[in-house]
Amino acid sequence: MKTLEDIENLSIEELEQQAVRAAAPVPDGLQERLRQTLAAREIAEAARPRPTRWIPYASLAVAAAAAAIIALPQRGPKDTFDDPRLAYAEVEKAFRTISDKMNSGLDIAREAGAAAEIPQNVLNKIQTK
Amino acid sequence: MKRIFALFAALLLTVTAFAQNGKSIYQKYSEAENVSAVYISPAMFRLIGKIPNIEVDENSVNLSPLIRSLSGMYIINSENQSINASLRSDVERFIKTGSYELLMEAKNDGEVVQMYTMGTEKTVTGFVMLAVDGEEVTFISLDGQMPRDEVERVMIEAVK
Repeated sequence: MKTLEDIENLSIEELEQQAVRAAAPVPDGLQERLRQTLAAREIAEAARPRPTRWIPYASLAVAAAAAAIIALPQRGPKDTFDDPRLAYAEVEKAFRTISDKMNSGLDIAREAGAAAEIPQNVLNKIQTK
Repeated sequence: MKRIFALFAALLLTVTAFAQNGKSIYQKYSEAENVSAVYISPAMFRLIGKIPNIEVDENSVNLSPLIRSLSGMYIINSENQSINASLRSDVERFIKTGSYELLMEAKNDGEVVQMYTMGTEKTVTGFVMLAVDGEEVTFISLDGQMPRDEVERVMIEAVK
């Protein structure tokens, strides 16, 4: 039995010789089994469906389109007015439109409220009689 | 590879869905026939804000305080029957994709008015109005950092 010190003192050649001498025996039929395994893997690889040729190109096109939408600066619309006073007048008009529409909504709500009061008034009259 | 392709397609669809906003609606319909369109850019709003004394007559609402908080306005008024349905559905999609809340809805004899706001309790960052009156569809979109109190004040004043 060699000590650790003995092993450290051995040259590379001696170590190689020791390794060859101590090599484990190759099991029977290992080479054949390896060959069969590799052949089976090759058959499986061949049977796997290959991606259609156009898919990589289509993916690239989609990626390019997405990148263009995200990265390219979006050209904004042109201002309708050059004069800020005219623009102000238009903003005022827009707020008036919004208010008018809101007002018409409130009118509907008032009408609905008045209509809802009719049955209550009838009930009140009946109760007072 | 199929998964990558599907992923890119989904990404593209998502990007196009998010692209639906006031600007895209304006750009899509502003050139159509029987459509009047107005766009006021953030730069123009800054210019309006610099007008020293905006004359406000007795019957008008003083918008000066609110103007400074606005950064964009899109208006589409369409009397074009062939695009009205599409305009309505685009606006509805825009409302759904954004985080807009219904402010008011009124329906009467075929007239529909819907108003939506986006923002916080104190600030309105987006306002959208869709009004359908017979053959006329009006879409107004406002962007900015508008104090909610100020927006309400202006509307109440205008109603008076």
